Amino acid sequence: MAKLYLKFEQAVLKEVTVTQGGMVTIGRLPDNMIQVDNLAVSGHHSKIYWETDHYVVEDNNSLNGTFVNNQKISKVTLKDGDNILVGKHTITFKDEWHEDEPEQRVPTAILPAVPQMEATVVLDTKKAKELMAQARALRDGVPAPPPAAPAAAGPTASGTMPAVAPTPPPPPPPPAKERTGMLTVLEGKTDQPQYVLSGKLTVIGGAAQATVKLKGSMFRRPPDVAAIVRKQDNKYFVASQDKKANLKLNGADLDHQQELQEGDTIEVFGVKLNFEYHD
Amino acid sequence: MNLTVQVAGKSDLGCVRTNNEDNYGYDTRYGVFVVCDGMGGQAAGEVASKMGVDTILEYFRKAGTDTGKYPVEGAVLEGVSESANALASSIRLANRSIFEAASKDAGHAGMGSTVVAALVKGSFLSIAHVGDSRIYLIRKDSIQQLTNDHSLVMEQVRRGLITQEEAERSNMQNIIIRALGSEETVEPDVDDMVAQPGDILLLASDGLTKHVKDNALLSLVRGAPTLTQACDALIQAARDDGGDDNITCVLIRMVEQPWYRRWFGKGNPQWQNSI
Repeated sequence: MAKLYLKFEQAVLKEVTVTQGGMVTIGRLPDNMIQVDNLAVSGHHSKIYWETDHYVVEDNNSLNGTFVNNQKISKVTLKDGDNILVGKHTITFKDEWHEDEPEQRVPTAILPAVPQMEATVVLDTKKAKELMAQARALRDGVPAPPPAAPAAAGPTASGTMPAVAPTPPPPPPPPAKERTGMLTVLEGKTDQPQYVLSGKLTVIGGAAQATVKLKGSMFRRPPDVAAIVRKQDNKYFVASQDKKANLKLNGADLDHQQELQEGDTIEVFGVKLNFEYHD
Repeated sequence: MNLTVQVAGKSDLGCVRTNNEDNYGYDTRYGVFVVCDGMGGQAAGEVASKMGVDTILEYFRKAGTDTGKYPVEGAVLEGVSESANALASSIRLANRSIFEAASKDAGHAGMGSTVVAALVKGSFLSIAHVGDSRIYLIRKDSIQQLTNDHSLVMEQVRRGLITQEEAERSNMQNIIIRALGSEETVEPDVDDMVAQPGDILLLASDGLTKHVKDNALLSLVRGAPTLTQACDALIQAARDDGGDDNITCVLIRMVEQPWYRRWFGKGNPQWQNSI
């Protein structure tokens, strides 16, 4: 077994395990096990898998290429500690099978030391904010004196905190205007002519909880959940949930998850819906 | 196709502790499942986690028998289902009961609890959590953690202040930044999803997840013939790794059931109150 750590600059965004015989796919689309939501990354960019007795990374003819330790590759064997560059994100490969002695790297002294405690401790919101600010100061190299009284178990009172200037919130993601999608019924029987997709999850089906309620007919009952539309990072993705529902996107059968674009037509269980963004 | 649930749960003292501050409960009649991990000295942790489980079960039993409507406690969250909001309301109620009990009784001062809860209605699944207990989804041969720990180290990882590896070695892993009962109000994280036949949900306290990593959880659950044996295997694995905390897991499997089985089949255990 091996671990993959998806990183952007220093931050670890995700940790994924790949097993012998297993495969991990990397790409911009949400059906990848490691989704890297960046335009520099192709939809299905590359994959990491077990081949006979070792792990390999293979590029899927991606537009911008896959790099291992700064070398452009098409397919290469991975070894412990390799860095795979996909767009601007790095995936670090850790082979846990052959792992060497625990590396003598910087210990966790990045954090202010606290006495080792066994019991769980709750920080109230204010103290938690103070500790976050302190950790940020440490990372940024601003000398922050250690907590004054080590006897005060763990989180210190605000009076003893180092004078850390109120640090700005973490770099905000590029300001994207919140977009709301809308489905308009073009054909077929549903409970409303139009649906504003304000929720994170929109269910299309016959169930009472479904947002877009399919009516079906006396002879043909719709599946409880025929398809779902999920909102993620300001985008909408449609996926089939029941083969009987025969989900089509712009006339073509859809068996995986797909991002919706303005003007797309979804067909499900005899109902035709038009997707567009709504201002 | 209609989905029904099978469930198994178990809680274990672990190898070091002398009292069990974890608790769990469920009621399949209302589709609600809860795990709580209490904290606070002199048995207060046990009281807090039990109050958490009982209050949440009670909320859904009452709503189920009274009107079928879920009373709203606190703010209504936008963009999530009624079920997810019901979970959030039940958790806010549990928070208030624990907070009030803690402020009334000096012996219980400082008590608190984490919570993970799931509400299953057919194939509709809502989850909610506060603290560092977790929910995993096991689908086919993959496992996915559905909750983000409200712990100081994981918050620092999310903000890019430390790495995952540093977090795993940190001596601050036991500090959580949200809990039931520590402040007057609490905001749970909630989410909605649609289950597929064969999906398994794992609700667990950190006594399990500290010791048993994701892929081991997956293979232990997949390798056991029944959910009860899977619970036993998970707990044994945590004990074998040291078991320095109480260990609790609840497994919920979504199964496809033909109509005749639903009508005439023998029932699974329907509920389990807090222990």
